[in-house]
Amino acid sequence: MDRRARLVRRMEEALGAVAVVSERAELRTYECDGLTSYRVVPSLVVLPESAEQVQRAVCICHQEGVPFVARGSGTGLSGGALPVEDGVLIVLARMRRILEVDIPSQRVVVEPGVINLWVTEAVAPQGYYYAPDPSSQLVCSIGGNVAENSGGAHCLKYGFTTNHVTGLEVVLPTGETVQFGGKALDTPGYDLVGAFVGSEGTLGIATRITLRIVRKPEVVRTLLAAFVSMEEAGGAVSGIIAAGILPAAVEMMDALSREAAEAAVHAGYPAGAGGLLIVELDGPAAEVEYQFGEVERICHQNGCTELRIARNDEERVLMWKGRRAAFAAMGRISPDYYVQDGVIPRTALPQVLRKIAQLAAAHDLRVANVFHAGDGNLHPLVLYDGAVEGQAERAELLAGEILKACLEQGGSITGEHGVGFDKKRYMPDMFTTTDLATMQLLRCAFDPDHRCNPGKVFPTPRLCGEVPGPYRVHPLEKAGLAERM
Amino acid sequence: MADDSHIPAQARAAAQSGGARRPADTVQEVGVASEGVAAGAVAAPRGGFSILPAFDEHHPPSFQLVEECVHCGFCLPSCPTYLLFGEEMDSPRGRIYLMKEALQGEPLDGAMARHFDLCLGCLACVTACPSGVRYERLIEATRQQVERRYRRSVADRSFRALIYQLFPYPARLRLFTAPLGLYQRSGLQSLVRRSGVPARFPSRLRSLEELMPPLSPRRDTGVPVWTPALGSERRRVGLLLGCVQRFFFGEVNAATARVLSAEGCGVLAPQRQGCCGALSLHAGREAEAMRFARKTIDCFEAAGVETVAVNVAGCGSAMKEYGYLLRDDPQYAERARQFSARVRDVSELLSELGPVAERHALPLTVVYHDACHLAHGQGIRAQPRELLRQIPGLTLHEVPREREICCGSAGTYNLLEPEPARELGERKARAVLDAGAQLLVTGNPGCHLQIQAALRRLHRPLPAAHVMEVIDASIRGVPVDALVQWPAASRRLAWPGAGA
Amino acid sequence: MDVRLREIVGAHVWEAGTEDAIDGVQPALVIEPGSVEEAAAVLRLANENNLAVAPRGGGSKLGWGNPPERLDWILSTVRMNRVLEHAAGDLVVRVQAGACLRDVQQELAGAGQWLALDPPEAEGTIGGIIAANDFGSHRLRFGTVRDLLIGITYVLPDGTVAKAGGKVVKNVAGYDLNKLFTGSLGTLGLIAEAIFRLHPVPASSRAVVAPQSGAGMGAGELGGAVQSILDSSLVPSALDFEWREGGRLFVLFEGVETGVTAQAEAARQLLDRRGGAAILEDVQVRPLWQGMGRPQLDRNGTRLKITTPIAELPALITCVENLAAGHPLVRTMWGHAGSGIAYLDLGADEQPVIALLAELREKIAALGGSVVAHAAPAGVKRALDVWGEVGTALPLMLAVKRQFDPMRVMNPGRFVGGI
Repeated sequence: MDRRARLVRRMEEALGAVAVVSERAELRTYECDGLTSYRVVPSLVVLPESAEQVQRAVCICHQEGVPFVARGSGTGLSGGALPVEDGVLIVLARMRRILEVDIPSQRVVVEPGVINLWVTEAVAPQGYYYAPDPSSQLVCSIGGNVAENSGGAHCLKYGFTTNHVTGLEVVLPTGETVQFGGKALDTPGYDLVGAFVGSEGTLGIATRITLRIVRKPEVVRTLLAAFVSMEEAGGAVSGIIAAGILPAAVEMMDALSREAAEAAVHAGYPAGAGGLLIVELDGPAAEVEYQFGEVERICHQNGCTELRIARNDEERVLMWKGRRAAFAAMGRISPDYYVQDGVIPRTALPQVLRKIAQLAAAHDLRVANVFHAGDGNLHPLVLYDGAVEGQAERAELLAGEILKACLEQGGSITGEHGVGFDKKRYMPDMFTTTDLATMQLLRCAFDPDHRCNPGKVFPTPRLCGEVPGPYRVHPLEKAGLAERM
Repeated sequence: MADDSHIPAQARAAAQSGGARRPADTVQEVGVASEGVAAGAVAAPRGGFSILPAFDEHHPPSFQLVEECVHCGFCLPSCPTYLLFGEEMDSPRGRIYLMKEALQGEPLDGAMARHFDLCLGCLACVTACPSGVRYERLIEATRQQVERRYRRSVADRSFRALIYQLFPYPARLRLFTAPLGLYQRSGLQSLVRRSGVPARFPSRLRSLEELMPPLSPRRDTGVPVWTPALGSERRRVGLLLGCVQRFFFGEVNAATARVLSAEGCGVLAPQRQGCCGALSLHAGREAEAMRFARKTIDCFEAAGVETVAVNVAGCGSAMKEYGYLLRDDPQYAERARQFSARVRDVSELLSELGPVAERHALPLTVVYHDACHLAHGQGIRAQPRELLRQIPGLTLHEVPREREICCGSAGTYNLLEPEPARELGERKARAVLDAGAQLLVTGNPGCHLQIQAALRRLHRPLPAAHVMEVIDASIRGVPVDALVQWPAASRRLAWPGAGA
Repeated sequence: MDVRLREIVGAHVWEAGTEDAIDGVQPALVIEPGSVEEAAAVLRLANENNLAVAPRGGGSKLGWGNPPERLDWILSTVRMNRVLEHAAGDLVVRVQAGACLRDVQQELAGAGQWLALDPPEAEGTIGGIIAANDFGSHRLRFGTVRDLLIGITYVLPDGTVAKAGGKVVKNVAGYDLNKLFTGSLGTLGLIAEAIFRLHPVPASSRAVVAPQSGAGMGAGELGGAVQSILDSSLVPSALDFEWREGGRLFVLFEGVETGVTAQAEAARQLLDRRGGAAILEDVQVRPLWQGMGRPQLDRNGTRLKITTPIAELPALITCVENLAAGHPLVRTMWGHAGSGIAYLDLGADEQPVIALLAELREKIAALGGSVVAHAAPAGVKRALDVWGEVGTALPLMLAVKRQFDPMRVMNPGRFVGGI
């Protein structure tokens, strides 16, 4: 029996036929995640329904020497769930139970397939919520959030997934199950919870996740301010930070992204604004009232042409609707688009925007900009038409150059989408070979056989030996078989 | 009659324990191209049936529309089959991907056809999609291809034949309903149900038995051909009587005519009318749907009405698409377009006209359930709620969760795919119960039957009524008890102008 | 050896004295590199010669951890003590590991900002704070090191100098080694530089103390009071407790004047039912919080850090009370009630302390928490691992250690599981 047939049989025996997908047409529906530029058909897809089944699946992969990739809802934007050829794709979408809600200790324990928004929905009646709120929160999974250390518009004030995970149960690539952390803080030993979150599925599969929930703020106040240009909007943000105010969220949209969002959801954004600012403050009423007044003043000081304050929840939701739909809405003003994700020190925004405009002009393409102004996370959306010869390549080139511009200012190649497959090639621009090699020491401890989501994050795999010493070239690289991208 | 004894026991068990994951496939014919199937059919290696190319030249799903999907996945949480099975292939994103694969050269085989069949056609994904993908066009075109090209199993074909030879034909339904009435009124039905025997029926038969409502005593004599407007006539409307609606929910038609009349509409219910073709259209039976559409257009054109009012969500949705359906027919294309422009759901129409008839108090709490073909298919959500809120003393509750998820009725889905339908029905029933209302109100007979069957299975019956029945009760000052205890009360109701 | 060391650090190496011993283990030399490169060269030398090295900043937390298996050199960071860069507009600061926290805060205050860490150990350096995961009362609102550290430069024992994270708050490129090094007690390498995110210094503060006088609250009552604050929409900067045969709660509010006044009043009302609550003004607040967390520990006393799920505070108190019944051992208990962290000081009687600690560990484990000794006499440390059980993750932690420090140069034996 050939290896694949044996693999199918073993998986069916261990998980049930209903959990195994092996037909080609069906396998192809899993060939990419939210990033469609790369596609790889997995050899097999399995859908375990319990931690125990995950463990069995990983054990089988380990025994058969087969690489595997974990996937949640498949909405990631860096190709983190891109399958490996001849590998198994382990889909966690059926593990979607909320296992425990413990309000007094402010913890919720979930399976990895639980949708981000469901966590908030589970604790909302008691007045709590789960703070990390990526725009895709109605479909992205907690497991995926853990892998990517997802943020969201409110991460400036509240932090990222890693600040809200206190415990993990993980199936290691060897098939063992281990526990990191728990409901209590500061478990003795290395902070493996912290090391695992954001490791993009390269260290193991989380099968149980203990999350921290927070109390809903007393008040939330949101305003929308229109400016003639992004510069002025940026100036307002600087003023807000300088005044010692830490908003819950500060979002900026340029004219093009505003247009697209308006076309998609009709949120009623002020037409003609060169820069749009959404500022949200939350917290105790008296404090927010005072700070809100300051924010208004600062906006006016920086030349805002129109200022709207949300009078109720509905208006607030509408203000956000456009921002949240911005990416998908690009489909309305352009046949294709490439979402870039870079970070810059906030104070560098004006220079970077100027540079982006220059680069865009040079490549003869349009770029829409959506910016998490509070934390410096920039999302340039490179618009192109794939049907026109060469445009897709130009778009990718432009996106890469924009990223380099971010790095030039001391930023990062990714604020929230992760490195995955897509940005491996930029890692050497941000980190030295030594940095990357020493990071991979961690990977060697978890996955010495390099079978857990291989080919992601690091451009060149490190040789995992017990031998100490500086970085040594992997034999595959030497043989010219692995590319340094 | 369909029987699922051919389904492997393991798969059946898996389907019934803890809910269907991937419902048991019907066994495929070992593929041999037969006469009536398009050239190019090939036998699939695993003993199934597979055809290449997947689609023929007649209106395949548009590649351009397929390309509009950016693969963001925002549709997944609103898809009932993704909710149940958690598999990409049974999500809108995955189905679109399968269509793309097929357009790019993958054969149409059993697995692929199955995923298309499992789509409920609820169109919740269309509402959810931020990129505006026209999934309704895509699934319609794909279903037509599957109907034309894919060879289903004998059992499957027979069962479908039964449904489509019966439901769209009033005369045949009348013949069928006679013994059915006896079955119900003689007490035999309750005996059968109490005995627990249906649990041992094959799944589809069991489904049919469970869904059967009490036969309407009024049947198709419920609505006269002509009902004048009370007071001055504001609009001349034609009323579609429906098929299942006519026989099982005659009261609803009667109530609809009364309400329209009370609101100043002259109501013409042409006797000759037949099926509007919705069931056929949504199942991909294109030629059949077109035939029904033409007849319906002819019938209502002859009636010379300004507006065609429909009180069945699925029918209204289909009729609004006649323009698209008959776009290739030179004789009907323009007529169909104009016809479609005159179709209104009754709640939509009443909202347009604005109320004139006095509403009497109906102190009760109701929970309103959005039928998919009203909410997603026609964008009609506000109007029924508006109408209900106009009734003094009535408190409107919303279904507290999974509001956008289909109840599982989806036309004939609950007959063809009983396991997922049952699970969806149960989810909806529980959510409806949690709304804590005295009456379930909806705008579609299918939803009515489906949710009531699910409530019965939970031993938590809840009365249900159509929006029009509630408004009718309010206009005529019918007491709450009478409304809530249908059908007993209905026999006491006087039909204005027709004698008691 | 000495020659090679002098080549690297010049005159900044000398013989260790008894005051340089860690838990009675005497090193030979104390070395003070002046730069990352010098530190790297020193470590490389140690690695090549199979020596054991303990990094040291202010030396305030050297008692944390088990006694070292062996110890040859102390690698002191006191000369690497500068603030390298303060980007006030971006709320980010980059410092060398040997900088004293107090000095860093002073410099940041010039721009109205601060690093939101307030550990009681006053002479702590940045490197030590990171390595020990040291924190104070403000953890409730701002988190601990792991929530504030955004970039790190570290030196591996083999002399490799590498960095992780970056200068921006939002960054998911690569593995989060910031977290791995936090609390690693210097067993993976030397932390050389760190980059933190900052917060604005609050304009005003108020504190609420309950009960303001008289006997303290019972355990259950204290737990209820904590829950009432946590469940309200108040946003305290700190929620601390003290237990001395009765509990007292301290709530700190910081922010704009109107905000803190309103919140303090709301908190006072919530807590008033429980024996009266008092509001303290700005001026009184600082000394109160500075005094917290610094009771005097008996000579040869043991200080325990106990973490539990937040709601288990009453159970913890009851457990300690029961165990301590009759023992004059237990001195005081205090902690950060809003985070589920408590500290317990025990007297100098070794055998009973060992017995009590063993039993306490069992009970706390059942509650889902852990007990770690931050200070203990040699006898206690010999009998019991200060860290306690680690569970299923230990083999993995050993594997991580093997990757970063295969020759076991860095603080051998001081960490969990004998790492």
